[in-house]
Amino acid sequence: MIAVLALVAGVVAGILIEPTVPVALQPYLPIAVVAALDAVFGGVRAKLDGVFDDKQFVISFVSNVLVAAFIVFLGDQLGVGGQLSTGVVVVLGVRIFGNVAAIRRRLFRA
Amino acid sequence: MNPDHANPGGGNPPNFLTDLFANALDPGYADAAARGARRSPVARGVRVVALAAIGFLLAVAYREAVAAQPDRSQAHARLVEEVKAAQARTDDLQRRSDELRRKVTALQLAALGGGSEELKRIREQEAATGLAAVTGPGIVVTMIDAPPQIDPTTGRPSRAEVSRVLDVDLQSVVNGLWASGAEAIAINGQRLTSTSTIRAAGSAVLVDFRPVTSPYEVLAIGPDDLEDRFGASAAAATARALVDRYGLGFAVRSDGGLRLPAAAERSLRHASPVQPGTPTGGPK
Repeated sequence: MIAVLALVAGVVAGILIEPTVPVALQPYLPIAVVAALDAVFGGVRAKLDGVFDDKQFVISFVSNVLVAAFIVFLGDQLGVGGQLSTGVVVVLGVRIFGNVAAIRRRLFRA
Repeated sequence: MNPDHANPGGGNPPNFLTDLFANALDPGYADAAARGARRSPVARGVRVVALAAIGFLLAVAYREAVAAQPDRSQAHARLVEEVKAAQARTDDLQRRSDELRRKVTALQLAALGGGSEELKRIREQEAATGLAAVTGPGIVVTMIDAPPQIDPTTGRPSRAEVSRVLDVDLQSVVNGLWASGAEAIAINGQRLTSTSTIRAAGSAVLVDFRPVTSPYEVLAIGPDDLEDRFGASAAAATARALVDRYGLGFAVRSDGGLRLPAAAERSLRHASPVQPGTPTGGPK
């Protein structure tokens, strides 16, 4: 419950504060979102599995975002930013799908 | 199969991709559960902060995605505005030029007196060079871009590139008209002179650097048999072939009273008239 409230509070803050993202950081935003979604769905599944761990959740979120951003940054410097972004999205996307499927199985038994 | 059992250390399993598909959950959760992690209030606080950060991130990303679209269309709208302003300025200048031309004509009339031989010659030369509006019988050649193909499955116009009338097609028609005896030609109200250009810039056709668009109406004043002669010319045959092959529109009709506007005056910057009496032809 607290988790959902915190998430909603973050969204509301984002809407109210209307922050402007520096141009230099803009390319990393989509990747950061995918990484954050991966952490969230991983956390939800872990919660349903009864193995949720705060430390694991926070570290997976922070490291996901940082590693994903770093890979894209490195790719941009090497001239293969688009391909590496795709790679990151595929890997995280597969994990998100897997976790959502597990959540679905647990919630709907289907 | 559970790679966690095969690889209890929690490091990278031998086949990363297989593991990724089989076991989407971060192995760290299982490890933490196995260790029997305690729930401390600090950890819970950090979790709340992280979730708030995620929510914040989602909101910001959404706002960025929404804001990016208007940015693009705003830039487009600004460019359209600029083009429209420039066109209005050109039209203004054109009007002013016409006005000055009328003034020049009136002054000539005043200076040389009506009916004078001099004035008559000036008028004729202006008409011949395209610097004065002319009227007379002639033909109207119309060329139209091919209509977009209708997609048989959706019934909507397909988005494939339509066949357009090209600058070379108009050049060929204009050359055919000159060759058939036309004395004055205008394309969509743009009078052609001896220095006129018909060029393509992207998918637009420029006549004397002013864009013209389909339907292209080529007005030509010429002798009575202009229609027959143009109809028999190679240019007309080429145009008819374009109709058959690409579905362009091409039509010729005669008109007893065409009125062609004057062309914009181009002052000579480098060439100067030869003085009477000096021998011409060949380099000096």
